[in-house]
Amino acid sequence: MTATMLDCCAIAAALCATFMAGSRHLKRNILFYTLQTILLAFATAIRGSLQSEEQLYLIAIAIALLKAISIPLFLRWIVRKLCIYSDPGIMIAPPLVMHLSLILFACSYFEIASIGHSKGSSMAASASASLLLTGLLLMLTRRTALSQIIGFLVIENGIYLFAMTQTTGMPLIVEMGILLDVLAGVMIAGLVAFRIQKSFEHIDVTQLAELKDE
Amino acid sequence: MISLVISWLNFFLAILLLPPLILSLIRKTKARLQNRVGPSWFQPIYDWSKLCRKDETLSSTLTWIFRGSAALNFILVLLLALFLPWISFKPSFTGDDIFLAIYVLALARFFSLLASLDSGSAFGGFAASREATLSLLVEPAFMLALVALGINARSSSLSAIFSYSTDANNQVVCFLAGTGILLSSLVELSRMPIDDPTTHLELTMVHEAMILEASGRNLLLVEVSYALKMTVLLGLSAQCFIHALQANIVCPKLLLVILSYLGILGLAALVGLIEGLTVKLHWRKDPEFIAYALTMSLLACFISIGQGATFK
Repeated sequence: MTATMLDCCAIAAALCATFMAGSRHLKRNILFYTLQTILLAFATAIRGSLQSEEQLYLIAIAIALLKAISIPLFLRWIVRKLCIYSDPGIMIAPPLVMHLSLILFACSYFEIASIGHSKGSSMAASASASLLLTGLLLMLTRRTALSQIIGFLVIENGIYLFAMTQTTGMPLIVEMGILLDVLAGVMIAGLVAFRIQKSFEHIDVTQLAELKDE
Repeated sequence: MISLVISWLNFFLAILLLPPLILSLIRKTKARLQNRVGPSWFQPIYDWSKLCRKDETLSSTLTWIFRGSAALNFILVLLLALFLPWISFKPSFTGDDIFLAIYVLALARFFSLLASLDSGSAFGGFAASREATLSLLVEPAFMLALVALGINARSSSLSAIFSYSTDANNQVVCFLAGTGILLSSLVELSRMPIDDPTTHLELTMVHEAMILEASGRNLLLVEVSYALKMTVLLGLSAQCFIHALQANIVCPKLLLVILSYLGILGLAALVGLIEGLTVKLHWRKDPEFIAYALTMSLLACFISIGQGATFK
């Protein structure tokens, strides 16, 4: 349980996000999201043992239960219901998005180094910045509404990782509130995607920009 | 002096034994996955001795390039085996640069392309064009993986890079570079997700269609150099993983020898497992697979550059 292991968990989580950017399959994206969230829960537990704070263990368990089990299960259910298994992507092909997200990782590393050190490790900070940017990239380069939800979840993971590694940690009650908000947000977004599919027969966000008068 | 002789003897034993062993291990793994017993462990050696006894049939359009390039290919792969640190007890040379290794590999590929174009058959021609496309895509991944290791070790000499230094910063870079090398050597050797080596349809193949015109002793040379190249490339990525392991646990020399044998055999079993479990990718999906190899190598590069920046 050392700081290096925390860094390794953070880098592996960022790598999962990078692979998500490279994959067209929605189910594979959800699998990588699950893996990433489990790694974050591990990182939280390691941070808890480093700072000897018991409440971080509770948060780790809550993350594992809510974000790593129930949200992926719900998303998989939505994917099955909608019968949309892959996302063609817009503008940039997924393999190139993957390389782009790696370049963003490198950029965020040097940016974090130039901002200057807080008390947390700079490797974990750059991993969380890269999670944030990769989530943004996912939302920008994907076509289906489900990918937008997944990209939003990756951004949320990035923000959480940044807060967890760079500050002494938020109070338990705030953390739980955020987790419940995310859960409710994903549920609502998933159901809205379901409704969109029902009324428009597609969930392509590029075609949702025009208003229809029917 | 005696230790030098012993290390050379060990090295030659490894070069002689490992290539047929790896081939039969891959075949055995694949056969066991399909509930077959599989060919005997000595099957590659039987095949090679059969090829040695057979006469050679040459097409009338062939020139000396075809036969010369098979021999040249074998020599280049042997050179690669002497330079690349694919096993822990390899005797070291001066001037074993990473870029030399990359270009020797490219030169070997160039001569095999030349041989298949020289045969003048349609299969050879399109297989050569496929091989050229794949090599164009995979070369950056292989090169960047070695360069990342080079940046990490502050040297471009292979024996300095793979010198079992106990630097804790090594492990992530070594692991990522090893994965990059493993994925790109699957492409380099035209193994399963890219090319099915055991299919009977030449239209879909890359490597096997290239050597379609070779027969007899010429084919023997091609097969032996392919097996040796596979041993060396798998050994190189196994060494990367062993270095990542070694950054945490200090291993004695004998354990390193055992680990490097086990690493090569383990990776060969992994190749067999991949071949048993996956299907060949569509040709247009191949760049996506190679993109993963490039991702690993790029990440290794960025991390090693980042570590260098913080050291300054």
